[in-house]
Amino acid sequence: MPAEIALLFWPLVTIALYALSRVLYRHYPSAWTSPLLVTPLALIGLAIALHAGYRDYMRGSHWLLMMLGPATVAFALPIWDQRALIRRHWAALLIGVIAGSALAIASSWALASALHLDASLRASLVPRSVTTPFAVVVASDIGGVPELTAVFVMITGILGASLGSWLARLLPLRSSLARGALFGMGAHGAGVARAREVGEEEGSVAGLVMILAGVFNVLVAPLLAMWLR
Amino acid sequence: MSIDRLSTRLRYGLRRSRVLQVVLLAALWWGADALVRRYALPLPGGVLGMLLLLALLASGQVSGHSLRRGAGWLLAEMLLFFVPAVMALLDHGALLRSEGLQLVAVIVFGTVIVMTGTALTVEACCRWSERRAG
Repeated sequence: MPAEIALLFWPLVTIALYALSRVLYRHYPSAWTSPLLVTPLALIGLAIALHAGYRDYMRGSHWLLMMLGPATVAFALPIWDQRALIRRHWAALLIGVIAGSALAIASSWALASALHLDASLRASLVPRSVTTPFAVVVASDIGGVPELTAVFVMITGILGASLGSWLARLLPLRSSLARGALFGMGAHGAGVARAREVGEEEGSVAGLVMILAGVFNVLVAPLLAMWLR
Repeated sequence: MSIDRLSTRLRYGLRRSRVLQVVLLAALWWGADALVRRYALPLPGGVLGMLLLLALLASGQVSGHSLRRGAGWLLAEMLLFFVPAVMALLDHGALLRSEGLQLVAVIVFGTVIVMTGTALTVEACCRWSERRAG
């Protein structure tokens, strides 16, 4: 494919496939039809068929990835909208985010070491419980591969949403705060969507915990980098 | 009087236009990112932009209404923005074939640990504050 055409082809196909996968999901909602899974799989199939590599794909599409920056800024709105919830439960939210982040980092590190994964894979796994725009920042800070982290974050979201539903029934949880934190900390975006199906307050808490965990992880990443390297 | 009317119309237009709001949020990110680069700050431009926007909202300089539609759109379509990152799988196929099972194991067990620990911690906090209050 000529380079000029590839420059336009890949971002347009990405947007088109994404739009199609949203239609598919609306008609057949399930974990397996999630746009998060269907869009990349279809694109990867197409790229393999056309013998295109990651560089060919990214040359025209990196601006899509850059939109994660403005999306991060946009997180200010849901935080602001939930200020009453924050004021009421700030201690539980803060303790939950710190405990959850510590567990996420420690469990990734320990499990990856136990299974003999190499250092760069291990560092790429560490931020996988944090939502993508924050996770890729943490990954590059601590010596991981941001692209691999994005893949692990996606897998965590898809598996985590299902694991979360199961755990939320299994664990003796009375408060909607705990159920929301479970989904927001464990499965970020996909978890927030699932938490909204459980209940309104669960959804708000999950969204808030996801953002706070992202900010917390990015802020401690420089310290983490010194300690892990 | 014309300036007053102009600013009212602008504000009204801003509240209705999602595109304009997205452009403003992008401009805020761009400005914050420039600041981070200029002063080598230890946080990403997106997070600084978010903190700046929170400060503007808290001080009453900016109303939530004037950015809500743009922010809602950016957050709803965020999946689209990280599809390109997932395309890195193209270059890491061999790695995932050889270590895929271990990677999935780390993710599944790690996620169970994170979810269980977080939920039980928050539940304990809630019960503790209930007991103290009751």
